[in-house]
Amino acid sequence: MKPPPPQSVRMLVTVLIAALLAGAGAACAARHAGSYVERSMDFAQYRSYDWAPPDPLPPEDPRLAENAYFQDYVEGAVQRGLAQKGFGDEPVTDPDLLIHYHASVTRRIAVDPFDRARGGACYDEACGVRVMEFDAGMLILDVLDARTGRLVWRGWARHGVADILRSPDRMAAAINDAVAGMLATMPGGAQLAARAALEKGGPR
Amino acid sequence: MTPIRPTWLAASAATALAAIALSGCAVAVRSYVDRRADFSQYRTYAWGAADTFTTGDPRLDNNTFFRDRLQKAADARFAARGFEQTETESADLVLHYHMNITQRIDVNEMDQKYGYCDDCRAEVYDAGTLTLDLVETRTGRLVWRGWSERSISGVLDKQDWMDRQVEEAVARILERLPIPRG
Repeated sequence: MKPPPPQSVRMLVTVLIAALLAGAGAACAARHAGSYVERSMDFAQYRSYDWAPPDPLPPEDPRLAENAYFQDYVEGAVQRGLAQKGFGDEPVTDPDLLIHYHASVTRRIAVDPFDRARGGACYDEACGVRVMEFDAGMLILDVLDARTGRLVWRGWARHGVADILRSPDRMAAAINDAVAGMLATMPGGAQLAARAALEKGGPR
Repeated sequence: MTPIRPTWLAASAATALAAIALSGCAVAVRSYVDRRADFSQYRTYAWGAADTFTTGDPRLDNNTFFRDRLQKAADARFAARGFEQTETESADLVLHYHMNITQRIDVNEMDQKYGYCDDCRAEVYDAGTLTLDLVETRTGRLVWRGWSERSISGVLDKQDWMDRQVEEAVARILERLPIPRG
C-alpha cells in the first residue's frame, strides 16, 4: 500500500487535533442560562411568591440594578414566567416563596479568533493574539422558602452589557430571553400549572 | 518525498496535549503547614463564618448549594480522620473555605519557538482556586492551608458537574492533611 503524502498526513493530524480540541471544548462549552436547585425540596408545595430585598451578595452594578427600565423588564418577565409555571399571577402578602434578583457586571477578556477563521493555521507574524475586554452581565434570580428563609433555587443568565444597554427594545428582548431561559430549568412548571388550572376550574 | 519536520509533529502533539490538559482541567493541589503545630493534639473542628466578599463569579456568591456540598464533602473527610465537629467555642480547629475565580489566558508559545504552528490560538479560561484553612482556635494561628487550582470553565454551568468537582477538590486537598486516617 502506498504511504500517504506528507500533505495528507498533515491534514489527518490537523483534523485529529481539531477533533480532540472540539471534544475537549464541548465538555466545557459555556451555557447561556441555567440554575441550581435544592434537590430534596418538593416544589409542588409552593404556590405563591412575593418580592424581597436582595442579599448583599452577589454585588450589583448600578448600570443595571439602578436602571428603571431594567428593573421593570426583569420584574415583568419574572412575574409572567412564574405565572406561566403556576406560581400565581402576581405577588401575594403571605407567600410560600420569596424572590429577589441581582444584576452583576464582571469585566472579562476574550481572545480574537481570527487565526482560526483563516483556516486554522498561521505563520510567523500572523500568529499574534488580540485580547479584547468586555463587560459581562449576569442576572441572578434567587428563590427562597418564605418559612425557612432557605435558598431553594437560583437561576442565572448571562449576556453582554453593551448589547443590553443599546436600546430599551434590545434590553427587553435580552431580559425576556434570559428569564425564560433560566425559568425553563425551574421545577414546578407544567404539572404545577396544570394542577392550578384544574383547581381554578373547580371539582368535576 | 519531503519528510515531515519533527518540530512540526512535536508542536502539533504538544498543542493537543496542552489543550487537552487545559480543557480537561488539569489540577494543582498544594498545601502549607505550620511545622510548629502538633496535629496529634487536635480532635475537634468547627466551620468558621462564610466569606463576605465576592468570589469572582456572581453565581457562587452566597451560594448555599455550593457551600452545603463543600461542607458535606469536608465533614465526611474529617470524620474519616477521626475528627468530631463541635461548636466553634469548644473546637480545637476552625475550618474556613475560600473560593476565588479569575480569568487567565494560556497563550500557545509554539509559534515563537518554531516559527510555525497549526491551529494556533490562545485560550481564555476561568481558573478556580478552592482554599481550605485550618486555624487553631486557642491561638488564632493558621496551622494548615490546602488549596486546589484548576480550570473550571463551564463547571458552574451545570450543578451536577459543580458538585462533582467540589467533592473531588475537597477530597484531594484534605488528602494532604498531616493527620493519619482514623
